[in-house]
Amino acid sequence: MPMNRPHNGKRSVKMQQTFSGILIGAAIALSGCATTGVVEQPTVANKTDPYENFNRKMFGFNDHVDNYVAEPISNAYKWITPQFMQTGVFNFFNNLKNVNVVINDVLQAKFSQSAEDTGRLAINSTVGLGGLFDVAKHVGLEQNEEDFDQTLAVWGVPQGSYLVLPILGPSTARGIPGAVFDTAANPASYVGMPVQLVSMLNARASAEGALKFIDEAALDPYVFTRESFLQWRNNLATDGKAEASDVDGLDDEALDGDKGVASGQGSSGDVNAGNKAGLALSLDANTKEIRQVSHSFSSVAQSFDNTAKSFEDAGTKVDAFKKSKRLR
Amino acid sequence: MVLKNVKSAVVFMFLLFATVNAFAVEEGGATARQVVEKFQADLIAVMKDGKKLGYAGRYEKLKDPVSNSHELTKIARIVVGKEWEKLSEEQQQKLVDVFSRLSIASYAHNFKDYSGESFVFDSEEETTRGGVVVHSHFVVPDDKPVKFDYMLKEKGNSWRIINIIANGVSDLALKRSEYTTILQREGFDALMTKINEKIDNYSKQ
Repeated sequence: MPMNRPHNGKRSVKMQQTFSGILIGAAIALSGCATTGVVEQPTVANKTDPYENFNRKMFGFNDHVDNYVAEPISNAYKWITPQFMQTGVFNFFNNLKNVNVVINDVLQAKFSQSAEDTGRLAINSTVGLGGLFDVAKHVGLEQNEEDFDQTLAVWGVPQGSYLVLPILGPSTARGIPGAVFDTAANPASYVGMPVQLVSMLNARASAEGALKFIDEAALDPYVFTRESFLQWRNNLATDGKAEASDVDGLDDEALDGDKGVASGQGSSGDVNAGNKAGLALSLDANTKEIRQVSHSFSSVAQSFDNTAKSFEDAGTKVDAFKKSKRLR
Repeated sequence: MVLKNVKSAVVFMFLLFATVNAFAVEEGGATARQVVEKFQADLIAVMKDGKKLGYAGRYEKLKDPVSNSHELTKIARIVVGKEWEKLSEEQQQKLVDVFSRLSIASYAHNFKDYSGESFVFDSEEETTRGGVVVHSHFVVPDDKPVKFDYMLKEKGNSWRIINIIANGVSDLALKRSEYTTILQREGFDALMTKINEKIDNYSKQ
């Protein structure tokens, strides 16, 4: 069974990065693979992707933007910029991101990790000359991936529907408020246009390996991107603890499916499962889409409500924490 | 004296059972960990000769290791989900064949050459449904290691790989989404064409 992995020295470094969170994130954000030519037709709804038709169009649009704008500029950047400078630029923006990582460590109550990441930020900002050199890596402080979307997941906010945003790429209902917070907590957001532009170039250039991999391995680039994005986010949010049981369930589901079909209940079982997930799957094709959309909107609204509630909960928790400290 | 005899009898019995057990393991074929480690060793060996072998050579050398360690028929069946039942017997056979070729081809393409990489075993755990997950990681010099978790199921008296999870991304789940989507949107022939295109691309690079 094929796996997503490296080939040779130079490429393996690239492919490695495919797996490092930043790259997949950036890659997917700028995802580039042709989806044109695929006949648009209503498909069996995926419960996490009720807007598949809209999302596919947006994916196609982003792909065009990438092909005609982002990729040429990024290639030019890579051509004129020496490798050590590209690495420096990557390290610089990565270091700024650590401000947000530390905040989210604390919000998720990962206190020892927050101490490590603070150390990482401090070392790289000083000895690493403002973040240009990743000195912390050499003293054993690995880069951690934390962001506000993961914090919301830890607080119990459901993921919501999968959405492909214009230019920004894959996200979820929970990912949008997450991204707003992440942007606010990144110092790079508060400087002028040239810095922003370099930041974007850096993101696209670092995504190169991942984009190439999608191009090589994907039969349906849209689905490939969606699945790897959702799995990658889930893996980050659960710190890698979700995988084994999920996969076991997948296998089991497949076997159950076989049994179901044998007894002639296969497809109706599918519909029931969809309903349980809060997705109205009407057999009437005309009303199907409308009902799905309205349901998904309410689920998005619900996610926002839950987010707000989680904030309140967190507030109460902090109060309680303060009190218990005072008592001590 | 009697007590001593009883003691030695008990010890003897234990030893007897222990030997029997040891034999049972040997006769029962390889354990899940052994299957994974054998496959990883074969893969590293092919990588070391990768340049010399070329794509065709790597494909030939990996054919048996991949087919013997992976449960390719079952994987092909799972990745098309409920669509499997809708396929004719001939189509099912074709799917298994093409899918097996794709699996070997992508290994041959992705594991081109060697620059000090190695696999390290981390741990092993049983899942609730009688499977075993072997956790390992792939060490790449000067880079972050990639986590590789192999999910295995028992087949006959041996274990076979049924899924690989690389840094949390499940190959089986990813393929399943892709294949079922293509089958539903474009049909069986389109799926076969697309897989064959991928195999062609792998062989060219």
